[in-house]
Amino acid sequence: MNKSRVAPYLLLLPVYLLSLLFIIGIGNGILQSFGVIPSLGLNTPTLDYYVEIFKRKELLSAIGLSFYVALASSLLATVIGVLLCAALVMGGLAKGKAGQVLKIPIMIPHTVVALFIISLFSQSGLLARLFYAMGIIGSQESFPSILYTSNGIGIILAYLWKEIPFVVFFVISIMSNISSTLGEAAENLGASKWRAFRSVTLPLCMPAIKNAFLIIFVYSLGAYELPYLLGATVPKMLPIQAFIEYTHPDLLHRPYAMAMNGIVFFISFLVALLYYRFLQHDKNHKIGRTNL
Amino acid sequence: MNRGKKIVLKMFVYFSVLSVLIPIMVIAIWSVSGRWAWPQLFPDSFSLRGINELFGGYSGAVQVLGSSIAISLIVALLAVIIGVMTARALVFYDFRGKSLVSFGVILPIIIPSTVFAMGIHVLFIKMGLSDTVLGVIIVHLICSLPYAIKIITDMTAVIGKKLEEQASVLGATPGQILKDITIPCLLPGLISSASLAYIISFGQYFITLIIGGGSVKTFSMLMVPYLQSGDRTVASAYSMVFICSTLIIFIVLEKTANKFNKNGNGGFFA
Amino acid sequence: MHYKTRKMILILFLIISLIALTGCQKSIDFDEKADFNTMVEEAEGTLVTFYGWGGDDQQNKWIDTVVTPTVKEKYDITLKRVPIDIDQVLSKLSGEKQANKTKGSIDIIWINGENFYSAKENGFLHGPFTHKLPNYEKYMNPNDEEVTKDFGFPIEGYEAPFSKAQLVLIKDAATTPETPKNTAELLAYAKKYKGKVTYPAPPDFTGSAFVRNIIYDIVGFEELNTIKADKAKIKQTIMPAIEYMRELNQYLWNEGKTFPATVAQLDNMFADGEVVMNISYAPYSVANFIANGTYRETVQAFQFDKGTIGNTNYLAIAQNAPNKQGALVVINEILSAEMQASKLRHLKALPVVDYNKLSLAEKQLFDEVEMGEGCISQDELLSKRIPEIPANLVPIIEEIWQEEVVKK
Repeated sequence: MNKSRVAPYLLLLPVYLLSLLFIIGIGNGILQSFGVIPSLGLNTPTLDYYVEIFKRKELLSAIGLSFYVALASSLLATVIGVLLCAALVMGGLAKGKAGQVLKIPIMIPHTVVALFIISLFSQSGLLARLFYAMGIIGSQESFPSILYTSNGIGIILAYLWKEIPFVVFFVISIMSNISSTLGEAAENLGASKWRAFRSVTLPLCMPAIKNAFLIIFVYSLGAYELPYLLGATVPKMLPIQAFIEYTHPDLLHRPYAMAMNGIVFFISFLVALLYYRFLQHDKNHKIGRTNL
Repeated sequence: MNRGKKIVLKMFVYFSVLSVLIPIMVIAIWSVSGRWAWPQLFPDSFSLRGINELFGGYSGAVQVLGSSIAISLIVALLAVIIGVMTARALVFYDFRGKSLVSFGVILPIIIPSTVFAMGIHVLFIKMGLSDTVLGVIIVHLICSLPYAIKIITDMTAVIGKKLEEQASVLGATPGQILKDITIPCLLPGLISSASLAYIISFGQYFITLIIGGGSVKTFSMLMVPYLQSGDRTVASAYSMVFICSTLIIFIVLEKTANKFNKNGNGGFFA
Repeated sequence: MHYKTRKMILILFLIISLIALTGCQKSIDFDEKADFNTMVEEAEGTLVTFYGWGGDDQQNKWIDTVVTPTVKEKYDITLKRVPIDIDQVLSKLSGEKQANKTKGSIDIIWINGENFYSAKENGFLHGPFTHKLPNYEKYMNPNDEEVTKDFGFPIEGYEAPFSKAQLVLIKDAATTPETPKNTAELLAYAKKYKGKVTYPAPPDFTGSAFVRNIIYDIVGFEELNTIKADKAKIKQTIMPAIEYMRELNQYLWNEGKTFPATVAQLDNMFADGEVVMNISYAPYSVANFIANGTYRETVQAFQFDKGTIGNTNYLAIAQNAPNKQGALVVINEILSAEMQASKLRHLKALPVVDYNKLSLAEKQLFDEVEMGEGCISQDELLSKRIPEIPANLVPIIEEIWQEEVVKK
């Protein structure tokens, strides 16, 4: 490690500047959650908005639902994504057409993904039509409801479609790099392909995998589009409630939206912080090992 | 590896590929469909409404597509440059507040964009950046940097500094090292980050509206209203153009990059 | 490589600066006392921005291909349509006000109801301005409730009518021959087509109006129009309607456990045949959908006998609009008989001009428009038109629905 005094700060200058803008932006946003919006004549900071939200009885179930959907979709996406990565690398398909096609979902906006999921899985969707044409079901109603249910299957499906490729994208260049150098070295030393992958390639990819997981997890914790378009009417996740308060014509509802976002932010922040501590520890450990 | 395992692997990959392609094909069909009611497996009627809206000339969609691509390319380029700088600082140096920085850079991902959009809007108005292309580029950059920094940092950590040091010992100038060693080694990561930054910028809707305020139009701003209004024909046509234009940009990006990296691998379409 | 990269960057920046340049607009000082002709002169060669919802391709096309060329030709004004939802327009205006930006970016705003109330109360709107428009004086009926009030809230010259909307129910006669004429018949209809009827969950704009329409049918409009904005009191008054909706739930799509989040979703479910009844705020949309092939020719719009909710949407001007003259000239042009007739022809949108104030030749323009298939005649529609209740009651009713109807 270098110990130069000026170099790192110079390198970080643009990030510092952008972060400054960002932090001021958040500061203003958080201030709004305490009811300070001068243009609407709100000037005195208050905790009322938070207190009122905490009094709502659906709050806990809303947070619980968000957690469940975010955790289920990001865990599944990470596991399947890494497996897919491994299959691509080991099958020598990473650079082929398959690897290319698999990255397309990353560029597709979430609202379009909702359109996909509805046209495939709704009770009048293509899958239901296929079953009907094959005589498996007799009418639309006998097709199981996958979307708009309180178990959030529709939302999770949509996230998986979008996020598995994200994990692949995030991990594959590092994985194929490591596999083609260190992995092959291990194989030359007599390890089986699978063993080389498990004990050499996978551990070295862990930081990237964990980063991918964290990004998807916190993203899905705070996003409203897919839950709004594919979820049940009640319970409503916190980000949707925030969105509804935000679009409330009475601008005096804005502080509620901001306070709800504040709660979401606080939870994500906590998760990220805990996670980061754990990851950081892990990383140092790994670097130590590769240096051997 | 035995043949059975290999077949399972391939099946898994091909199943995934199909799962990606089928919905896109459905959207492609929708973009020219009029009516497609239960229980038909194919549309009852076709319509050129979507194509007309996009290419009929009156909506200005084609011009907006052009300027939108330009904005996102600039964001991608800046994200890569800043990403490399930040990654080097984080990987090769020890400094005060290092863990704060490496944690802080992911914050834009976890903060709902409404929270910072509103706050930053007021700031940008005061700085004269609202309703300008520069303002839009800056907010897009804030949103896409975390990804670029993560990818390039991971890459930099794996590659290390040995090659650069050897070159330096052999008398290479910093410029030569950058051109002949650092960039080629990092290239896969750079293209990945550029692609991701491009996508994030190209797909931003809410924050572009608030900061660009209509003076700066992007393709998403034209597309999202149709998605929200549930007009599947027009929305699908827009989505197809969105997807295809992005694919073309990435292929061009890849080709250009590979020109100066003969043994190149990686990138969005590695 | 370096040369190439540099060249690419250079080209990119050229493109960007071009965009930046075209995005700039000259702002002109506004004199409150200037007469309309002076404003027309001052507006020559300027840019006017039109901010409004952009999810209707027909409406967008009408503005882009009819209004824009007309104002260019007549007044040399460049009209720029910006497709933005009203909540973002309000956000933007709020931010600009907070930063004391006196020359903003928004000229004309397409607005109504609670949003108008909110924008006007917060001082985001310029006005009063309607008295300055010759066509407003010429064609509007000053005694029309919808010209003077928006969701029960006095307009006081801060917005000019743009279009009239009215809630209609839509069915396909080929699949369901019955036409429910009131809430009791709707219940029977839902029983017969169990699982194939639903409505969008409030606060969706259309879903919310449908719920109010149910309440009107059961409780009566007057009962609700005069009530105080007190949640307990309102709940008590509309209890019979809540009980009706709870009973209806068991026959609805997904047994009323969940509702479509947006009317967009309901539209698609209807087009796909997943439900048998659709709800729309655009009374003549059926004709357009049949014409463009989205609906079958057997699809029809219908109403309850006691009528359906109608409202008007309006055009307002931002308080910090950079080009108020231009905005006034454009709004005036949109209010002209020619533009309103063209709107009727292209969009089948109910005109806002008072038919009795039109000249013979102008009446002709309106009379010759073919309304297309599947629609209710304009006379019948307007004869069964119920006004909106005061805007501040709407969110309270939405809240009560959320607590008392879903999953109950």
